[in-house]
Amino acid sequence: MSIHFLNVIWVALMVATVLTWFIGKSVQMSAPLVVMVLVISAVKGWLIIYDFMALRRVKFLWRALVLGWLLLTLAVILLAYWLGLK
Amino acid sequence: MTSPPTLDAGGHKPHVYPPGDLAIWVFILAELSAFFVLFAAYAFTRLKHLELFDEMQRTLDSDAGMINTLLLITGSWCVARAIAAIKRNRCRESSHWLLAAMLTGVGFLVVKYFEYGAKFAAGIDLDTNLFYTFYISLTMFHAMHVVLGMAILFFVWKKALAGGYSAHDHHGMETGASYWHMVDLVWIILFPLVYIMR
Repeated sequence: MSIHFLNVIWVALMVATVLTWFIGKSVQMSAPLVVMVLVISAVKGWLIIYDFMALRRVKFLWRALVLGWLLLTLAVILLAYWLGLK
Repeated sequence: MTSPPTLDAGGHKPHVYPPGDLAIWVFILAELSAFFVLFAAYAFTRLKHLELFDEMQRTLDSDAGMINTLLLITGSWCVARAIAAIKRNRCRESSHWLLAAMLTGVGFLVVKYFEYGAKFAAGIDLDTNLFYTFYISLTMFHAMHVVLGMAILFFVWKKALAGGYSAHDHHGMETGASYWHMVDLVWIILFPLVYIMR
């Protein structure tokens, strides 16, 4: 993993965090904004798992366990928020 | 000619195990499972108390939440840089990155101290309502993991200062790093869930 790549990932995560915070400042959060926040969180989590935790080059099982946790958690949250819209 | 199936997309042979001690990964998966239950409990409890949760969420300081997210991400980056440095046999540089990571942890706890201080001064506690029961429990449970992560990093840092790691022997540092990244990963979901999504 090159240092330059790690720096790029860090900047991307910082920008994504500020974007999430900015969305949260909206007076009324709509369903598309909720989905956007969850997608941003998925991308952030993905980058942390692949590049900071260094699971990119690890056997699929280990990557799948942690990525599976991320996606399952976000899916359950999305389901609960979707049910709340009804 | 195509790559053999044992190679990843970049043409590298995948490692069998994740970085660090296998035991820490069992611990990490157990911790992630616990947080999954807590996040699901929050999301589905909110379903039954939509107005309360939405109203109470607006009383949180999302600026503090954002600053803490930036601090944890930076801490994770510092630890990744520490690993990158030790892989180049730069033990002293690696120890500096570890120290920087611990300082981001201190910063996180200072922000949390002021955040909790403002709430407690306003008479808010675990019994105020269901939202604050979740908010205080979830964030304090996570803060305990930050403290444990800092303690682990402290011992790794001490060993790095003494020149105890090298490009060929940094298994212990990777173990501590993996735990610290887990603390960051959990907050990546906690921040939008508790502070942002309404």
